[in-house]
Parts: sequence; structure tokens; C-alpha cells
Amino acid sequence: MNDINILGIETSCDETAAAIVKNGEEIRSNVVQSQISLHQKFGGVVPEVASRKHIETITAVTQEAFVRAGLDYRDIDALAVTNRPGLIGALLVGVSFAKSLAYALGKPLIAVNHLHGHIYANFLENPGIAFPCVCLVVSGGHTSLLYMPSHHEYQLIGETRDDAAGEAFDKVARFLGLAYPGGPSVEKAARQGQPGLYKLPRIFLDRDNFEFSFSGLKTAVMNLWRKLEKNGQADVNNMAAEFQAALVEVLVEKTIRAAEKYQVRTVLIAGGVAANSALRGTLAEKAQAQGLEVFYPSLSLCTDNAAMIAGRAYVQYVSRDFASLDLNAYPGLLSL
Amino acid sequence: MLILAVDSATQVAGVALAEHDRVVCEEFVNFRRNHSEILLPLIDRVMKESQCDWPQIAALAVTAGPGSFTGLRIGMATVKGLSLATGLPVAPISTLDVLAHNVAGSTALVATLLDARRDEVYFTCYDAEGRLPQILMPMKACSPQQAAREIMDLMAATGRRQVILLGDGVAPYQGYFSEHLGEYILPVGPHVMLPRAAALASLAWEALDRGQMVDGLTVKPIYLRLSEAEYRLQKGVS
Ligand SMILES: [Zn+2]
Repeated sequence: MNDINILGIETSCDETAAAIVKNGEEIRSNVVQSQISLHQKFGGVVPEVASRKHIETITAVTQEAFVRAGLDYRDIDALAVTNRPGLIGALLVGVSFAKSLAYALGKPLIAVNHLHGHIYANFLENPGIAFPCVCLVVSGGHTSLLYMPSHHEYQLIGETRDDAAGEAFDKVARFLGLAYPGGPSVEKAARQGQPGLYKLPRIFLDRDNFEFSFSGLKTAVMNLWRKLEKNGQADVNNMAAEFQAALVEVLVEKTIRAAEKYQVRTVLIAGGVAANSALRGTLAEKAQAQGLEVFYPSLSLCTDNAAMIAGRAYVQYVSRDFASLDLNAYPGLLSL
Repeated sequence: MLILAVDSATQVAGVALAEHDRVVCEEFVNFRRNHSEILLPLIDRVMKESQCDWPQIAALAVTAGPGSFTGLRIGMATVKGLSLATGLPVAPISTLDVLAHNVAGSTALVATLLDARRDEVYFTCYDAEGRLPQILMPMKACSPQQAAREIMDLMAATGRRQVILLGDGVAPYQGYFSEHLGEYILPVGPHVMLPRAAALASLAWEALDRGQMVDGLTVKPIYLRLSEAEYRLQKGVS
């Protein structure tokens, strides 16, 4: 087959992104317009504010992806767009734009599940990843464990019952007076503190399933913090370190148990929280001890981007999995 | 040459292809609010029905707002995608101008009212006597009570005895308007009550003639309202 260049478009949350990827593995351009500064004053992503920014920037971001790739609009073979899950108003900007662009260019359109995109960020840098594998997808919106026998089969084997891991980082950061987004600021504080000085529960670790709960961990942080404050012993860095350790331990243990149960040799992590160095380090260490091979994307590909969407879309392109003109966007996962 | 007009600002999804003085094809759907699913298929149908290809199109038109925030963005994102692929210029036209154009030529005062939720309407008034509606006050979001008061004031000031109420902001407050403006209201048919893509195309031709086009990069919706979160931040409530 000839080289296949796919334009990816991603607007599911607070990044307006467009990228062109060749054959599912070579990033020719990867443009991400982050809205973080816009949402900082609200302490979290505001859906209407995000949607308003997406519609203003989507054309420029897409143009930039073509300029950086040195390609003309006619040169691409297909377009791909995230159509679930995410903020519905934000998704609709990308889906409406990508559909009409594909229509007017006369190119096929591919609808990509955002979580599949995150997983395929791994394949952009490691094309030879062997199946079957277990994937931990951790981001502001998701904490899910998946079993993947092949490119085309996904089995959701567990997810969070309440807050996603990234959400827990944001909420705890806000509670402790750390900056938004919470992931990087908690990680930074944790590096200056020590885990184990305060004791937080490892929620659901004792359960023989692959479910998570981070809302309880957040509540435990709040209760302990108030007690410590009363005694004049509250230290932000130590609390951040123990919170991060409690969260990471549960994620890592359950991921390794899943690898055992499904008898896979390969473990992938993906999503914004996969950028957390404690998670990367602990998982790599524990998994290697079990003889597992661990993959995680480089930092810039952990957070939302369109290269991962275009990368995933290649698999769907090969199997002619194309969307029709009435493609819609959906806030939830529907099916994996 | 043709203008392709796309509207999804309200519960209506509309698409039209029009020459300078001839509407060639128009789709108007006021059924379910599933714009993201039907808008592009409507465009495709209008293009095919008219045997139209992109080189025959001179410009694109879109209702720029006010209206449903999500609806506006679906229409605008669609037009931005078309514009990027084809290089065609875009005429963003106020949804209220489009409504008023439905009754061009009328000697009555024309009041356009779109349902803005939260007990408000997006509102302005027009002098529609000429070929093109002339806006008489800035567009705004206000209570239907205030809109009714301003309509009465304008009629008194301009010596009119009749007003045409247009838009989906009329029905929710029909009782109130009947009570306070009843004797002055000039009833019109349902086919002119909601935005029509053909009217949008007609106004876009005027914009094209006057060189008032923008590119798909810079066009953006007119919301007339901050997002709830920005509003709260400004007011200092959390
Ligand atoms: Zn994501």
C-alpha cells in the first residue's frame, strides 16, 4: 500500500489540536493549542468557555498542521476526528468541522474514540507493540483498565466508580491551595515531601476486581488535613506525596494484577496522568520485576493531542471503518 | 454563481443555494434538534438536487447569532470546514436580520425575539419597509417584559400602529405579548416565524455585493451573552 497521510482533529476537552500522521507511526505535524490559561481562573475546565475557544482556533490550528507537515489539503488520504467521549459542546465543534472539511475535500472521515487515541499514542513511538496487552488509561476524565487482544478488540475490565485519577489530582490540588492543573502541581509538591509520614487508605486495593474509587481518597485527604491543621502539623508537600503514593499504588497494583489475570506480557499506560513520573517509575519497576514489558508515551503525547487520533485512525483506515455524513458526537463511552 | 447558506442557530436546521435573485433550492427542518446529524446531509442534498459543484459557488453564508450556543457553533464549524477546503469567503449574518428579512416590505414595526432561556429573549426591532431591514436598536438579551415596553416606545416614537413579532421567543411568552401588545400585533404565517436559509442567502448576496465578506479563519459567533461561568466570575459569585 502507498503511504497514507491522515489528518487528525481533537477537541474533546480543553485542547484544540490537529496533526498529520503518516502510516499510523510517523508524526508529520502535531499542533496543540492549549486552553489551560483560559480555564485557570475557574479552577477547572468550563465546557462553554472551552467550546467558544475551540470554534475560534480550529481553523488556524488545522492550517498550521498542514503548513508544518508541508502538505496541501488535497495531499491527505483521510481525516479523523474524536467523536467520543468528552465535553459534548467541545466535541461538536471538531466533529462538525472535520465532517464538512472531509466532505468538501472528498476524503473519507474516520471517527475515533478518544481513549483509543490515548492508547495509540504508544504505537506512534513503538510500532512493534505485541498483542495481547493490558492498558491503563488515566486522565482528567477517565480511569479505565482495558484488555486488548488485538487492534480491533477492546474489553473494558474495570474503571473508576466516581472521580477519574486526573480529577482527583485537580480536586486535591485545589483543596491544598496548589495550582491548576493539579497533576503537575501535586507532583512538584510531592517531590519535596515524603510519603508515609501521613497515612492515607489504598482504596479498593483489597478488592478482587479492577474498579477504582478516588472520591474516597480525596475525602480522606480532606479529613486528615483538617485534623493536621488543628494540631498545627499540616505540611502540603508531605500530604501531596502521600496522596500521590496512595493513588499510584492502587493504579499500579491493579494494572499488574490485570496483566496476570489476562496472561499478557505487555502493559501500556496512556492519558494525561501517564505523564506523572511517580506512576511511570513505579509501574515500570514493578512490571519489570514481573517480567512484563511496559510502554508509555513521551510526555508531550500523554496529554490530549491529535497525533494519537490520526495514529489510531490508521488502523481503522486499513479496515475501511469510515464514518457517514450524519456522524454525531457523544459525551460518554457508549461502547469500547 | 451561487451562495450556499447554512443555518443552525435555532431549533431549525436550514440550508439554501441561491443565485443573486433566484432561490434554487432550500431545505428547512423544524422537527428534532439533531443539527449535528442532519446539517451536512442537508447540504449534500441541496448540492446534489441542484447539480451544484464547488466551482459554481461564490460564497458561503452562516447565521452568526444570536441563538443556541451549541447550534451556532455547529453551523459555524461546518462553514469553517467548507471554507478551509474550498477557499470560499464567508458572510456571517445576524440571526435577527435573517428573521426580519422574512417580512421585508412590511410597513409594520418588526420585532425579532429568540428564546434565550433563563426567562429572557434575544431581541431587537427593525424598520422593514425597504428592500432590506434596517435595525433600530442594538441586539440584546433582555426580559420579554422589557422587550414589550421597548416595542411600545418605538411604536409611539415612529407613529406605527402595528408590530410583527417574529422568532421562537414569541411562543413561550404569547400570553404576555397578547395581553400587552394584543391590539397592535399583526399576525403572520408560521413560514416566516423562524429563520430561513433562503433569507440568509439573500442577505449574504447583499454582503457580497458590498464586499463585506470575511474568511473562515476569523468568523466567530455572536453570543450576546457571557458563559455562565464568566458571568459568575464577573459578578463575584461562585
Ligand atoms: Zn484525554
